[in-house]
Amino acid sequence: MDTATGLTAKPSMGLLPSMFYQFRKTTKALKMFAVIAGPGIIVMVADNDAGGITTYTATGARYGNHLLWFLILLGPVAYYVQEMTVRLGAVTKRGHAEAIFQAFGAFWGWFSLLDLVLTDWLTMITEFIGMTAAMSIFGVPAWLTVIGCWLLMGSMTMTGRYWTWEKIALVFCVGNLIYIPAAFMVRPDVHDILWNSLVPNLPPGGFTNDLFFLLMANIGTTIAPWMLFFQQSSVVDKGLQEKDIRFGKWDTAIGSFLTVLVAMFLIIVCAKLLPGQSIGSAAEAATQIMPTNRWVGTLIAIGLFDAGFLGAICISLASSWAFGEVFGWAHSLNTKIKEAPWFYAYYFFDLVLAGTVVLIPKAPLVLITLFVQVIATTLLPAALVFLILLLNDKKTMGKYVNTPWQNFANISIVLVIVVLSTLYGISALFPALLG
Amino acid sequence: MNALTSVVSSLVAGVKGINRKYSHPNIKMTPFVKICLLTLRLYLFILVGLMVYKFVVTVVS
Repeated sequence: MDTATGLTAKPSMGLLPSMFYQFRKTTKALKMFAVIAGPGIIVMVADNDAGGITTYTATGARYGNHLLWFLILLGPVAYYVQEMTVRLGAVTKRGHAEAIFQAFGAFWGWFSLLDLVLTDWLTMITEFIGMTAAMSIFGVPAWLTVIGCWLLMGSMTMTGRYWTWEKIALVFCVGNLIYIPAAFMVRPDVHDILWNSLVPNLPPGGFTNDLFFLLMANIGTTIAPWMLFFQQSSVVDKGLQEKDIRFGKWDTAIGSFLTVLVAMFLIIVCAKLLPGQSIGSAAEAATQIMPTNRWVGTLIAIGLFDAGFLGAICISLASSWAFGEVFGWAHSLNTKIKEAPWFYAYYFFDLVLAGTVVLIPKAPLVLITLFVQVIATTLLPAALVFLILLLNDKKTMGKYVNTPWQNFANISIVLVIVVLSTLYGISALFPALLG
Repeated sequence: MNALTSVVSSLVAGVKGINRKYSHPNIKMTPFVKICLLTLRLYLFILVGLMVYKFVVTVVS
């Protein structure tokens, strides 16, 4: 019997019944996948948040299509890291914060929570920066965007049902794909795209401080500490079981494919329309593109808002789930405000605090956005090391423990990030060293 | 003022409760692993400090 679909094949089936059985099996598996899919796609697409969109815009404008191969490499990286949270969540039925406290004790637990609070809050600010910048292109003042987003995010979360929240979030995920038609509209050089996608190469000028900064920012926007906490808590809140892990992995794989696809298409747009320009933000790119290519500029602005919104709802939830798990508050989207007041209070506190920073006059918002990506990357290895240790605990994980190959892949990711962070640190201290 | 004191004291009590609840880790780590983890954390925090330094320098300039 197929454990996932519950269908049983009879040994002496003819061709037609066998085909019918296969058809039913596939249909049932697809239906099952449709029910289980969500956390992986949402976390991966939300990963292309406002900071991510700004990073891809800057990358495409500054280095053209030269770094497309690097983006493609980041797809499997994101998958390998995130699928560990699916297994951990489905097996332990605990969110990531709780799992760390339980496994490593309070000292390391607080360390991880500190990481999460810091990076989440900083990233949340970048989401509001992106949303306000995008709406300002359409003449909407920042204060109105911030208040409107608070209300929209609040009403979306207070439905008292995880499923409703997830469906709305998936609609915003579809909005993130807006860069795909935008890329077709600019008619890019397909040969150049294929070459730079398949052949690893460095942009003219070689390794520089700028290149390091953008590589780090690209890693930071593809995998971030909040994603680990979000997906694991989401898997638990949705109630995924061990038998659902296979579908959870597919969910994550499709999500990582989408995240890379969107990033690549945005880079292609900016490489074509803003070649060699030093672009500070996605909003700036949209504004520059609008006079010559109104529709593409508009799509970039809409996509930026969508990305910021999706990122903000996911990141604030990641923090609220983590605090709920550790402090023992009721912490599910399936609860009403009265049943989980602290969970929702922290959610709104996070939103209000981040939104307010954006309204500070003359704050260096674009610089904040890029630096946040880099800081998130730097703090990532610490979170990943715990995740790898947890996934190697045979007593807890049983047959879902990491395979040697999964360990090799994940440890390599940690080492590469530590090396890149170190190089960036050196370049910060000695700017003349790398040129 | 009393309300603030009460909130802070309940928070402190909550943190103490969490520390008690998770005082015995499920995964035992050798001192070497603990030192490695602590070193990694501190190293990463130093790197973040460097980035904040660069951020401030960039903003000022």
